Amino acid sequence: MDAILATGTQGMTREALPVTQQIGSEAALVERAQRADSAAFEALYRMHIDKVYGLCLRMTGIAAEAEDCAQEAFIQAWSKLDKFRGDSAFGTWMHRVAVNTVLGRMRKSKREHDRLQAVSDVMNAPDSIGDSSSIQDLEEAMNNLPRGARHVFVLHAVYGYSHDETGGMLGIAAGTSKAQLHRAKRLLAQQLDKDE
Amino acid sequence: MNESDETKFDEELTRLAAALPTQVSPDRDLWPAIEQAINTPAGRANTIWNTPWAQAAAVVLLVAGSSGITYVAVRDDGPVSPVVIDTANVFETVSGDFGRKYTLGNQYLDAHSELQNELDEKMQFLSPEARQVVTKNLQTIRAAIKDINQALAAEPGNMLLQELLLSAYHGEISLMRKVDGIANSAMRRNDI
Repeated sequence: MDAILATGTQGMTREALPVTQQIGSEAALVERAQRADSAAFEALYRMHIDKVYGLCLRMTGIAAEAEDCAQEAFIQAWSKLDKFRGDSAFGTWMHRVAVNTVLGRMRKSKREHDRLQAVSDVMNAPDSIGDSSSIQDLEEAMNNLPRGARHVFVLHAVYGYSHDETGGMLGIAAGTSKAQLHRAKRLLAQQLDKDE
Repeated sequence: MNESDETKFDEELTRLAAALPTQVSPDRDLWPAIEQAINTPAGRANTIWNTPWAQAAAVVLLVAGSSGITYVAVRDDGPVSPVVIDTANVFETVSGDFGRKYTLGNQYLDAHSELQNELDEKMQFLSPEARQVVTKNLQTIRAAIKDINQALAAEPGNMLLQELLLSAYHGEISLMRKVDGIANSAMRRNDI
């Protein structure tokens, strides 16, 4: 998302800002939100919803579930804002909250197999990549991965988190993260090979 | 797939994965629901829902749910005669009693006593399993009532606790009435 809500009000006015100003604005918005300013929190929501929803969608594979997760993640974030000390970027912290939300909901629910809407139905492949069919194949194959392997693949391979970070988010050892990544790649290779 | 192919595939997979879009817009704006949730009193941490009394609330909800299950489990398909009791005023707040601010009105106590007598009498028409479920549910709900009463003693002005207590009393009466109706039905069937 290149634009950011300048005021954080409900006027929905968007205004493009340079990155440095965005960071400054974000810190100010977090500070205001920590003082229970819901307009500032809305601005943070507008800045980060696409990233948070994207992560939820990739982790759950269900659009409706991803919406619920993203929604719950922001509600959780609001209630825990006083714990955010700014040690990491707000977006990184939101990612952690979202991952925890997804894992928490998955633990409670056995709905994973009830995929109401496949990821590939709602994802738009980026125009910059020429091989869109490969991207789509990968999306579909990822969606068929077992939960543990998919989560690691999404966080490590798609979002670029290290194995330490991935393990920390998922509550597993870095070695387990590596093993799950290997498993994910092997399963993806089987699927993509079969599809060809 | 040989080792060379595997490496090639691995590289291609890494490239593709890194190229996947990391940002996706949801089909609908999630903010209105979020805004509604965070603007409720429980939207922030350290609310009453984080206190032990939230557990009492959970118990009440649990009992309400399990009471429904009890009803389904022990009900008879025949007609059920409802016991007509005015439950609108089963709970009254009376100052200066209870060591606390709240106590039960006489109307409730009379209705409760009457129902308890009928319950004791008619439990014999239920199967042992059903009796066990009913007894367990009543024990749970009465324990919840006791807990909420204790909480109210410490926080007499707490509206949530007042509502919880009212809800718990209603739950108890409701369960007793259901058992009474079910037992009546069972009696009629046995009489035939």
